[in-house]
Amino acid sequence: MPETEVRLLPADDASWRLESYLREGGYKALRRVLTSMAPADVVTEVRRAGLRGRGGAGFPAGAKWGFVPQAAAGPRYLCVNADEGEPGTFKDRLVLWRSPHALVEGIGITAFAVGIPKAFIYVRGEYAHISERLETAIAEARTAGFLGPRILGSDFGLDVVVHPGAGAYICGEETALLESLEGRRGQPRLKPPFPAAVGLFRSPTVINNVETLASVPQILLHGADWFVGRGLPKDGGTRLFGISGAVRRPGVYELPVGTPLRAIIEDHAGGLPEGRRIKAVVPGGLSAPVLKPEELDLPMDVDSLAKAGSMLGSAGIVVIPDGTPMLDVLHVMARFYAHESCGKCTPCRIGTAWILKIVERLKRAGGGPADLDLIIALAGGIKGRTLCPFGDGAALPIQALVTKFRGELEEAVAR
Amino acid sequence: MSEPRRVRLTIDGRTVEADAGTNVLKASEAAGIDIPHFCYHPGLEIEGSCRMCLVEIEGLPKLELSCSTLVREGLVVRTSTERVRSARKDVLEFLLAEHPLDCPICDKAGECLLQDDYDRHGRYASRSIETRERREKKLPIGRRLILDRERCVLCSRCVRFLRQVTRTGELGVFERAVRSEVGLVEDRPVDNNYSGNLVDICPVGAITAEDFRFRTRAWFLTRKPTVCPHCGRGCAVFIESVSGYPLKRSDSRVYRVTARENPAVNGHWICDLGRDGRHDIDDGRTAGLAGKGRELPGWTWPAALARVGEAIRALPAPDRRARLAVVLNSRMTCEELALAKSLFVRGLGLDRIYFADAKPGAGDRLLLTPERVPNARGVLEAGFDPRLPGLHELAASKVALIFGTGLAAHFPEEALAEVLAEIPEKHIFSSHATPLDRLADTVIPTAVPAEKSGTYINVEGLRQTFAQALRPCPGVVTEGDILSGLADRLAIDAGRDDAR
Repeated sequence: MPETEVRLLPADDASWRLESYLREGGYKALRRVLTSMAPADVVTEVRRAGLRGRGGAGFPAGAKWGFVPQAAAGPRYLCVNADEGEPGTFKDRLVLWRSPHALVEGIGITAFAVGIPKAFIYVRGEYAHISERLETAIAEARTAGFLGPRILGSDFGLDVVVHPGAGAYICGEETALLESLEGRRGQPRLKPPFPAAVGLFRSPTVINNVETLASVPQILLHGADWFVGRGLPKDGGTRLFGISGAVRRPGVYELPVGTPLRAIIEDHAGGLPEGRRIKAVVPGGLSAPVLKPEELDLPMDVDSLAKAGSMLGSAGIVVIPDGTPMLDVLHVMARFYAHESCGKCTPCRIGTAWILKIVERLKRAGGGPADLDLIIALAGGIKGRTLCPFGDGAALPIQALVTKFRGELEEAVAR
Repeated sequence: MSEPRRVRLTIDGRTVEADAGTNVLKASEAAGIDIPHFCYHPGLEIEGSCRMCLVEIEGLPKLELSCSTLVREGLVVRTSTERVRSARKDVLEFLLAEHPLDCPICDKAGECLLQDDYDRHGRYASRSIETRERREKKLPIGRRLILDRERCVLCSRCVRFLRQVTRTGELGVFERAVRSEVGLVEDRPVDNNYSGNLVDICPVGAITAEDFRFRTRAWFLTRKPTVCPHCGRGCAVFIESVSGYPLKRSDSRVYRVTARENPAVNGHWICDLGRDGRHDIDDGRTAGLAGKGRELPGWTWPAALARVGEAIRALPAPDRRARLAVVLNSRMTCEELALAKSLFVRGLGLDRIYFADAKPGAGDRLLLTPERVPNARGVLEAGFDPRLPGLHELAASKVALIFGTGLAAHFPEEALAEVLAEIPEKHIFSSHATPLDRLADTVIPTAVPAEKSGTYINVEGLRQTFAQALRPCPGVVTEGDILSGLADRLAIDAGRDDAR
């Protein structure tokens, strides 16, 4: 196990205070950036580091920052997506809990790089206790001069506001998050325009995931080459892999991007309990299509998972053991998407509900292969046709599950 | 303002020109290629939620919305490939899977986008055997509007109209996922002067008007364009009436007045005052030719007119100016006003013509003007100096010709009755009955604006000529007919042909 000396996550809960963070070299990167770098050079460095978004889509962070029109006058904003809601995902909460200052420092560097004076952290409603800690960390940073006007004696000032979410999965979708932050119903906006051009309060806006931003200080402190060296050239750094389900040591593991999935399950999470075997693995949150036991020798990076027809997503791994009825898994999935669909666009609103009705009927009264075909067809009517990525996020894992476990499902529904 | 730049694009293999800034949906429509849609409405901001208008754009991997994709030079669009057709089938199938299919009792049937689009693009073999959601089917939402949530396709046109156009925001979408529903924000009912547009813009039968529900079928209606006469704006409207089958059960001919698009005046909307104008057309009309409160059997309007002509002729020429009182109104068309000018001012030498109109009301920031007449600018253009007569002025006359019902709006009934009693000869030409009619020597029923053709000049000086939208009630003549008939009898050249 390639143990890394620099860690995003401190080993314990006790070291979240500013004092500890400073002892570990915290805010050195921010100081370096503010005293010796031009904003454009910061963007270039992050771009070279191959930092891919840790929220789910895996979009290169530096490229995203580059989309903000620099010439335009008027306000611009940074939004931190801390609305961690993807089933099987629980890594951002740990960053927020154990290392809030890494996030605050990442926010500072990013805001400086893009020329942003105001940031909002949109925190999942259920993370209320975390919000409190975050507020404390922000207050510490402000007192120490890492936030507020003229940070570290520079001309750059930054204000950070913590905003609690109100309990909808869809608010993790970036444009729905903006709507919610503006005080409206949390529903996605039509893109284009993209938030980089027209975002929060119709102003240019950068939206990044918690882990993404918390990774930024490392890049500026140790350099892009160092960061790439810890991961892959186009997908640098370490990532927080959350693993749950039938493993001996569920938890969050900070590992190099590209670590094989099987190694994460077997070596880091301690494998399955005695006598259990893997039936299926969700590799990156519920929306990532399931993998079968023979597909687990994949390197866990954005591109490799995409090539395998799944996705790295939020890197939340769920291990499903033998003996789990896949019809139940399908039911859990269908119920989740039908419940969380925001209802704005037709295919998602009605498609997810229809699929759930079929699955519930199958569980209640059984059915036949035609019902499974219809589920795949209806998911096909959602896929690629919806207003936001939720549609694909619902359709793809459902299609994969029904396709890959067709034999078992046919047996389960036959009466 | 400079002319918009034109761009050339290809739609289904045809080269099409469109203004830069136009969306692909509109450019296609202009080229005769219809793209089905629900949420898109040219008068509202783009929502992009129904997913019905997806098309193929060359170079892009996914299907794209034609409502939100703007035309650009060299764009290649395909609207009828297998992929597009299959996407349409899927969206329609989804909508129908949660639709009550109560078309046989739905007022929108025949003019419903869901019905029409399914007919053209749908998947006919139904794959849905699941139970549909049950929802509220008859929810009053204010202003005599009824919401049927089972029929709703959640296009949000109504919500956006109330937010973006009237800015009153009475409706919103509540709940989530398949439970999403349109509802009243904080239980405050829809209450604004543009509420009727919700019925026009609802693409399905989810919002219906109480006074239209279950009264007829859309396909029995004849829809004729005209200009609304109820304020100075001159909005473009359709008069929708039933002329034949099925036998009508009431005397109302007009089933509804709906908005007609006119970018120069009203865009896509009309106000409720104009929409309720259907009552003005059918209710309270002057019953028939009458005199002193009795019908005049055997009389024809030319005979009645002859009597009026005699009365005028009987006035010695030097007395006319003082003894002939003429009261016109600003609902008369420019053509009629020109006739009146020739007859009364040039022909009979009157120096004072009175006007009596409906009283002004409150205007709003959208369309409704404070003045409640359609042709005040036309009156000025004809060279009149419109002024309400004083009661003593009327009382001094020997012959009074009163066009319209405006006097009743300004004077108490008893006072007017007293004055009329003092006038030896009084003749009323009016589309609507008033209590004074029984005192007149003759009452000749006249046409409402929808029953005639002519020209109005609106508050912005825009001249709008309209054609007859509705056959007049039996026995009704236009003020133009009366004026030229009188001119004939008095041997005055009123130049009607020129005026027309």
